[in-house]
Amino acid sequence: MPREPIDPSGLEWSRVSPKYLRVRLLGWLAGSLLWLVLSSVPLVLRLTGVWSSFPALWVAWALPGAALVSVLWYGVLLPRQVAAIGYAERDDDLLVRSGVFFQRTLVVPYGRMQYVDVAVGPIERIFGMCTLKLHTASPATDATIPGLPTEEGSRLREQLSARGEARLAGL
Amino acid sequence: MTAGEGPGPAPAHATGAAGPAAPDGADPVILPGETWHRVHFISPLVRGWIALVAIVFFFGRDWAEGLFEGGTRGRNSLPEGADALLAGGILLGVVLLIAGAFFVSWYFTRYQVTAEHVRVHSGVLFRQQRQARLDRVQAIDIVQPFLARIFGLAELKFEVADAGESAVRLAFLRIGQARQLRATILARAAGVTEDPERPGDVPEAPEREVVAVPPGRVIGATLLSGTSIALVLAAAAVVALGIGFDTPVIITSFIPIGIGVIGAYWSSLNTGYNFRAATSPDGIRIRYGLLDTRSQTVPPGRVQALGISQSPLWRLRGWYRVTVNVAGYGVSSSTEGQARATLLPVGTRDEVLQILALVLPDPGTPRPVEVFFAGMEGRDDPEGFTTTPRRARWLAPLAWRRNGFAVTGTALLVRSGVLWRRLVVVPHERTQSLSLHQGPLDRRLRLAGLELQTTPGPVSPRVPLADADVAWQLFHGQASRAAEARRRSGPEQWMRPVPAVVTDPPTAPGPESLPPLPPEASSVDPAAREVMPEIPRYESAGSTPNEEQHRDRP
Repeated sequence: MPREPIDPSGLEWSRVSPKYLRVRLLGWLAGSLLWLVLSSVPLVLRLTGVWSSFPALWVAWALPGAALVSVLWYGVLLPRQVAAIGYAERDDDLLVRSGVFFQRTLVVPYGRMQYVDVAVGPIERIFGMCTLKLHTASPATDATIPGLPTEEGSRLREQLSARGEARLAGL
Repeated sequence: MTAGEGPGPAPAHATGAAGPAAPDGADPVILPGETWHRVHFISPLVRGWIALVAIVFFFGRDWAEGLFEGGTRGRNSLPEGADALLAGGILLGVVLLIAGAFFVSWYFTRYQVTAEHVRVHSGVLFRQQRQARLDRVQAIDIVQPFLARIFGLAELKFEVADAGESAVRLAFLRIGQARQLRATILARAAGVTEDPERPGDVPEAPEREVVAVPPGRVIGATLLSGTSIALVLAAAAVVALGIGFDTPVIITSFIPIGIGVIGAYWSSLNTGYNFRAATSPDGIRIRYGLLDTRSQTVPPGRVQALGISQSPLWRLRGWYRVTVNVAGYGVSSSTEGQARATLLPVGTRDEVLQILALVLPDPGTPRPVEVFFAGMEGRDDPEGFTTTPRRARWLAPLAWRRNGFAVTGTALLVRSGVLWRRLVVVPHERTQSLSLHQGPLDRRLRLAGLELQTTPGPVSPRVPLADADVAWQLFHGQASRAAEARRRSGPEQWMRPVPAVVTDPPTAPGPESLPPLPPEASSVDPAAREVMPEIPRYESAGSTPNEEQHRDRP
């Protein structure tokens, strides 16, 4: 995994499962189709003559065009986005990083952890993956690690719970 | 949940629907005299008076209208005979039904304070049994709405860290009883062992007043608030429109504007009036209110983050507002919620320092006065502040010299804003998590933003546009400082002695590992809670803490 400018040095990032890309691609496919269909509604109505003149023809063409471009751009980014998700367990805290253009690195001390969620969606279940979410007393803490293999997810959950208990502090 | 009795919302959750008086097996320590109590019997009336007023208004209006119609049109719509009896009966029935519902709900609501828990059982059809650990208390409020004040009653609110909803609300108790209960809860939560001869008979901790806000200043602050600016702008717009389009009718739009402004002024006055902050062994205690009065107690170590802000007009008088994040208070847009999270509605610089000294007795720097003043009104880098680098000044043309942070031994100070000045103070041990952000533009300019997550509240600590290397060092350093500070931080039961520093953190459990120590293990002398506290003060490192001197500084 390439080291990004804001990543702490000397840290071994664990990557999420490469299969997670497929989950994201499936979601992307469904979302893209929906967007394309929705954005081409004016065009279809215009071409079939239901709407006579309201959107200029170029506007009607531009809408699905813009949708296509943005959807494709997002699709091209997906592999890099998935590759950018990483986490690292340190002695005292857990680091989670994400983002390609807008990067974010988050550190959560184990002692601040209130509870751990492990969620499995239907598509994730097919690929044998889960999403782990760590909650602190602050709802702004967005420590979500998606696309973990199920065994790794439960191992991490147990590990986090054990470490959280050992370093338990109030608020 | 990480542990059965771990921190957080779980302890306050309702348990199942077992027999109402069945003692919890996990909590066998029930001192004598810990029977179940009910709230004051008049409280249904105080709580339900709005319903009664509504009924009277509803029926009374119909009746009055009928009276007038009967008089003018010669048609008597007043019910007579059997009809009148029926109408009266229905009215009485509705009132009785509502009163009955309130009575039943009152009868089935019972509370109990044991050595470790406060429990409330409520509900008739849907029973609820709630139990909250005393040492998880984040704040205790005693609220007296106007009507309750007339009857000498008060509501007691017990807050745990569940962001908003009060864990336990006892409405209403006699005011003396509420104070007694608060003292008992706070003493037990502090870890004080009480006299076994007289359980529950805990004296109130003495308190020493630190700051009192004179009413004149509250009025002045209200008049200099943003509401006034909005009022002036609105008035100018209305007058301009009226003259420009020659439509004097538009002047009538002052009526709704006026009502809104008066409402805003009133709520600001009502919550800021007679504001007093005091220190006591139970923590910080603030009192305020004109018609509705409120007395809040925030035990030591419960303030998660503190924000000092100054609006442009307040700069004329050198006034500041201090708001805090307390886990039990949560975020609220209501006036009441905002007032709760306000530790000082309007105060001078020195009063702000006084409040800071209460929240953060150890500032972690030999020059606290200078450092905090630099944070409140300074710019550039005196007193250890690091600002946005010069190359990014066009991203924040006004604020780049002020946006910055400083680290002391105990807290992180984040400074921002030129017109609306703001300083945020986060004690190291209260940091929940940290995140570092970098967008494409930031990357090009080698910048990064740092955000500290804290419990919900009005204060959100954020360091924008810092040099990437500096931000990274801060991120890294802050994570280890937070871990170190947590290891040294005092126990949740704040009167208990601070445990020795654990030297081998990766293997040894934290100082607050559960289960809590039995009371015999390290008992706290009740007398310690009855000592009049000294007012903590920051010492200036300079020759004289003269205000004028600081004001002259660039």
